[in-house]
Amino acid sequence: MSAADRSAKSFVLAQLGDRRFALPADTIVELAPSLPLHHFPHTSPLLVGVIVRRARIVPVFDAASVLVGKRSSAHHFYLVARRDVGKASELSAIPVDAECELTSAELLPSEAGRPRYVRGRIAVGEELIDVLDFESLVSEAAAAEQGGNRQEGAG
Amino acid sequence: MSVALDSRAHGRRDRRPEQMILFSIARQAFLIAAEAVKEIRSTDGLAGVVVEFENSQIPKVRHLIPSGPRGRYVVSGCTHFHLPATRPTLALMLRQFRAAVLVDSVERMAEVPAVYPLPLAFSGEERIWYRGLAYLDEHIIPVVQPGGFLTREEFDRLGAAAPATLPEVEPQGSVQP
Repeated sequence: MSAADRSAKSFVLAQLGDRRFALPADTIVELAPSLPLHHFPHTSPLLVGVIVRRARIVPVFDAASVLVGKRSSAHHFYLVARRDVGKASELSAIPVDAECELTSAELLPSEAGRPRYVRGRIAVGEELIDVLDFESLVSEAAAAEQGGNRQEGAG
Repeated sequence: MSVALDSRAHGRRDRRPEQMILFSIARQAFLIAAEAVKEIRSTDGLAGVVVEFENSQIPKVRHLIPSGPRGRYVVSGCTHFHLPATRPTLALMLRQFRAAVLVDSVERMAEVPAVYPLPLAFSGEERIWYRGLAYLDEHIIPVVQPGGFLTREEFDRLGAAAPATLPEVEPQGSVQP
């Protein structure tokens, strides 16, 4: 981890289930209120549908299914983040269970053996909170799902 | 609440208002361009006409409608979109492809002001299934790609499995969109 990474930065703290996670604040666009979730058939892992926010169609990722092991049932708020997809960039949303907080903290290294989508940790009070890399979270979930499908197909 | 989607936010889109057919499969709404559908036929009218054929490679196609020298493949909309099985009542006969799609119902015709690109986050089969998304009656509805129901390779494989000779039939129970 570089010295630049270790200096104090801003993070958004989000509640998913009974755990809190942090995302770098510079990737977050806004916290949107509960909005109708539009579903349609697709085969992309982790995606649960789209919301319409500020006249844009925003895909919604159910991060809770990876992070806390169960799908979000009630979508109280949507944390809208900017995500790079190849050479393009588009908005994506994660349902979260409570209002988010903004905090400044030094990014600490993650523990050995943590998933690749955990970029590091920050200390908030006495709590150590995982800092997520949204891009890695999505790509690892996709890889895990494809692996699961291959095993199902083989079995 | 009505929302006008921001076309600049979604990059290139189809700007011309289009007449579309709103249909449903397993309670899921879809749109298809009206000009992509040659006619709509009831499955009752097709019952005595379709030819069943063995085809284990492409499970969404189990029947062929004799039509012209090579026939028209009947695609199960449920299987195609991985939806629960239902009892389809109508078949959308596609104009530019030798395929008919089984659907549960046709709700109505609708003028769709714009088709927005599918967000890049969607990376699976849906990129073949859909032309994009439309905003209609406060709902986001996928606009199907007529050529996405059967790929060229699937047509070739079906051609190899289909019966060599087809009976002549008269169309029954058809509606022009």
